[in-house]
Amino acid sequence: MNDIEKNIREEAKRLLDENLVDLVIGYQEGTLPLQTAPVFISSGDEVDKLVFNSCCKQNLAIYVHAALKQHHQAQERVKPEDKKQKVVGVIARGCTSRSLVIHLQEQQYLREEIVVIGVPCSGYIDKNKLAEKTDGAEIVAGSVDGDTVTVETAKGTTKLKLDEVLAGNCLTCAYNNPVISDFSAGEIPARDCADEFAEVDEFAALSESERWDYFSREMNKCMRCFACRNICPSCYCASCFAEQSQPEWVGAGINPSDNQVFQVMRMFHMAGRCVDCGSCVEVCAEGIDLRKFLKKLDQDDQNLYGHKAGVKLDEPSPLASFRENDRETFIFEPE
Amino acid sequence: MSQTTEEWEPKIVALVCNWCTYAGADLAGISRLQYPPNVRLIRLPCSGRINPFYIVKALQHGADGVLVSGCHPGECHYISGNLIARRKFAFLNNFLNYIGIEADRTIFTWVSASEGDKFARVIDEVTAKVKALGPATRLIKTD
Ligand code: SF4
Ligand code: SF4
Ligand code: FES
Repeated sequence: MNDIEKNIREEAKRLLDENLVDLVIGYQEGTLPLQTAPVFISSGDEVDKLVFNSCCKQNLAIYVHAALKQHHQAQERVKPEDKKQKVVGVIARGCTSRSLVIHLQEQQYLREEIVVIGVPCSGYIDKNKLAEKTDGAEIVAGSVDGDTVTVETAKGTTKLKLDEVLAGNCLTCAYNNPVISDFSAGEIPARDCADEFAEVDEFAALSESERWDYFSREMNKCMRCFACRNICPSCYCASCFAEQSQPEWVGAGINPSDNQVFQVMRMFHMAGRCVDCGSCVEVCAEGIDLRKFLKKLDQDDQNLYGHKAGVKLDEPSPLASFRENDRETFIFEPE
Repeated sequence: MSQTTEEWEPKIVALVCNWCTYAGADLAGISRLQYPPNVRLIRLPCSGRINPFYIVKALQHGADGVLVSGCHPGECHYISGNLIARRKFAFLNNFLNYIGIEADRTIFTWVSASEGDKFARVIDEVTAKVKALGPATRLIKTD
């Protein structure tokens, strides 16, 4: 148990024992090596399940949203005098806290309905990179010790540098400490990170047809399982355009064009709202390079409107606000 | 299509605001201005009512070009519909181009109710631009 785990367990226990929260959402050991799973704890006796390490991949904000929405719905039919508030505690690293900020800005729940247990984070292990390094062999055991990841497969034991297998979004993330928190389990210096848009610039420099070829090739892999949407904290609508039938935005069936349209629309919904947590990339069973496209929206958000998703509570999202003198270089004027 | 490229005429979907561009198109008609018959106007209450998905869907269903036009900034009937729309369009336009949709397939402009001549010129030029691109091939749904 590291110091951070000790601190979050103590804080979670205190919050639950003193009835300050009804539920703590965190990470527990997974059933597979080098994996963790979300855990929902409602009693102080269970806090020893909580872990925090470089195998914690999920952005837990989506579960906070789900728990509170469910509670709000259940309360709708309760008499005003009997209404109860539910408070959810959550283990939040940088990107998770940014998603919480987005929920708060979008008035999904009140600040007093959440208790943010902040944890410093220097990144998580990307399953795709790990598979690449181990030639796709099944991982039977693994451990992380400081900067070294030891992976055991049927073919033998490999030692890897942590940085080699960290997710791409973590390598360019400067939000190593949460942007909001009620309790801090520790702090680390912000990463001196590489240019987060280097990949976008490189892609934009390709020709239109090269870009289209790449985009359509990636989207052809999509089986529209909607896992990327389901895991995304910013995709919380109860009914989604992707399943609407009147109008049918995305056709049922396996037409590649519908894959493309689905992702164009899903990603467009992320304009100014994607916190680059990488959860969608992590869950995609087809290994689709979603980040390459999402980052473009992030770049425009920053370049056009000087905004960064979920960083400041009092800064409205770009599509919920405007300035009279917003750049309009794309507006066509006839000669 | 059996037509040769010389006779190929593009299909252009124009999503326009009722209060300005649509009236501008009317004025162009009343003034007997000539413009190419390639556009199909779809009238909406405000450019703010133009769901960006309409643009994507038009492309998916075979539009060779999509023109979007509303009131000039500051002149929206609903005060700020077009200012909010402008941000959506900026994101979408950049994004579509980023994934490889030709820049001239989607065109955004402002045309007021008194600009019948501007409307005719816009249609002229947009049609020429889309013609130069040739038939759309990307994002299109084929069975
Ligand atoms: S998770 Fe991957 S395969 Fe599933 S819908 Fe998303 S992009 Fe497609
Ligand atoms: S789109 Fe992907 S990276 Fe962005 S917030 Fe959603 S899950 Fe995270
Ligand atoms: S009324 Fe024309 S753009 Fe709003």
